[in-house]
Amino acid sequence: MAETEETLKRIQAHKGVVATMVVNAEGIPIRTTLDNSTTVHYAGLLHQLTMKARSTVRDIDPQNDLTFLRIRSKKHEIMVAPDKEYLLIVIQNPSE
Amino acid sequence: DVIPPRLSVSTATGGRGAAILAAGFPPPVSPPCSRTRRRPAPRCSRCGGAPGTRSVFFNQKSCQTGEVAVAEVAVQSRSSRDAAVQTDRSAVPDVQQGACVDESGVLAFLRRVEEVVIKELNKNVTSRAFDGFDVNWTDQNRTVLCLHALSYPEAQDQHLQVTGVSWNATGSVVACSYGRLNDGDWSTEKSYVCTWNLDRRRLDPQRPDLVVDAPSSVMCLAFHPSQPSLIAAGLFSGETVVWDTSKPEDPLIWRTGMTDDTHTDPVYQVHWLPDAKHGNHVQLLSASTDGKILVWREERDGRLMVAEGFALVAQQIPRSAQLKKLVWGEAAVGVTSLSFSHFDPHVFVVGVEGGFSLKCSTAADTPAPCRTGGSVPLRAPAELAFSPHSGPVYSVSCSPFHRNLFLSCGTDGQVHLSSMLQTQPLISLQLSTKYLFCVRWSPVRPLVFAVASGEGDVHLFDFEKSSQKPAVSMKQAVDECPVYCLEFNTKQTQLLAAGDAAGTVKVWQLSSDFTEQRPREMNHLEQLASELTD
Repeated sequence: MAETEETLKRIQAHKGVVATMVVNAEGIPIRTTLDNSTTVHYAGLLHQLTMKARSTVRDIDPQNDLTFLRIRSKKHEIMVAPDKEYLLIVIQNPSE
Repeated sequence: DVIPPRLSVSTATGGRGAAILAAGFPPPVSPPCSRTRRRPAPRCSRCGGAPGTRSVFFNQKSCQTGEVAVAEVAVQSRSSRDAAVQTDRSAVPDVQQGACVDESGVLAFLRRVEEVVIKELNKNVTSRAFDGFDVNWTDQNRTVLCLHALSYPEAQDQHLQVTGVSWNATGSVVACSYGRLNDGDWSTEKSYVCTWNLDRRRLDPQRPDLVVDAPSSVMCLAFHPSQPSLIAAGLFSGETVVWDTSKPEDPLIWRTGMTDDTHTDPVYQVHWLPDAKHGNHVQLLSASTDGKILVWREERDGRLMVAEGFALVAQQIPRSAQLKKLVWGEAAVGVTSLSFSHFDPHVFVVGVEGGFSLKCSTAADTPAPCRTGGSVPLRAPAELAFSPHSGPVYSVSCSPFHRNLFLSCGTDGQVHLSSMLQTQPLISLQLSTKYLFCVRWSPVRPLVFAVASGEGDVHLFDFEKSSQKPAVSMKQAVDECPVYCLEFNTKQTQLLAAGDAAGTVKVWQLSSDFTEQRPREMNHLEQLASELTD
């Protein structure tokens, strides 16, 4: 338990990181640094988007698979590291 | 009138006789009638002469729908019941903090992805790939133009001026109040509050949708923040009234009346205050030049009673080393404008006639000496006095994007951008040789604000472009007719309404520059705010 917290703290301490969260395969957040309602909002939306991105990649080439997803917006960059059971979502403000 | 469509088919065979068949569709409510009409005689196609012995006959037919039956029915519900529905908050799935989660699985996963993620985070911070990269999702509108010029001719005939404008909660209705700002005498002349619904197709700029009569000059106006039909106004007589625009026959629903508690001077600002104790309930707050800021609560018979109040008295104004002695004793300090902080519901900034702005708090405890008897003891809210303008302050506005920044403008023609953390202003801009009547921050762009000047201009300032001169100046009125009030529309962010002394409200459409936040604006704002002098 302490190691997971430490790892998440290491990521959160990086320059410009606004929030970090871990979401399971059903889109339910497991660890987060934000408040509950915002976390649930992000988790639901990004889980769906990651599944869609993965199916897009595999549709184009069935031998390929999604390794990383980045969404750049005016205000931040959202990074999603997907896996079989979990998703790691990091929100960073790159211009800080 | 609608011209009925006519379908006419004509066949002419020269020689055998011509038959002209015409079918007409007259409007359904008129009784059926067959009309015969004289047609010009057909001419021979070969020689152009009128046929001599040929027999030509016409046959006209028309058709008509049967009479349409119309009946009028009115429906009225006789009894009604109130019911409320509330969703349950616990339906939101909670974040599971390690209870039934496979800890080792999470740890293994994090170990796998940590390196990748950290590498990407570092790359991002140093990356210059997106510098200057802008995407346009909406149609860019390059020009600022005047969409509507609204006025009420009766009020203009009486030479009344627009003293306040307000947008309603949905952003589709603009209301303006007529009164006089340059009249020092006590007047009993009636004035008006007019509303226009801009989303209506047949908007007539000279005919407001609703005109409400007010017993005396209306000095300020504010729509309720969530109920689109309630509007509050402060009158020259010191009264505060609330009208419901959905009841055109009798719009007045609450009034303060003239009691011991009412203001003894014109009310220059009304504001709807979210009530901290009752959740979504809002209370009405009014500020007047008699130095009192009163919070009103609704009673049953349409009366407003004072719930709590504040009084600004000269001797209780906190002094700082730089301020000179202004007024002594228990003289009231006249409040001309007020603005609540968007970040802390207890903090508000007040502009006074003496020229300085004060930072106040609704949580203040010290009682204020009260000259006249009132039902509710008044408190002294002032905490900090800022460096003064050289003339009365007419308008203050707290930034919706930064908790410490606010703007103030006054009769010295200057706009001060100040931080609540220090008394000296951060930036002073001399914008006009005449008075500046109103200043407002833009609700979407943190670095933009608008100022209404006595020369008839509405200036839009953008700190990103220039901190010396306005980005855009809109000429509202000719002949140096001052613009007294302006308001941004928070729902339709490209609209800005401004009212002037000629009795016209102009609704301006701003270009896309002013409606979309730029990438690094918040950083720029933070930088501005932190340039504190010691």
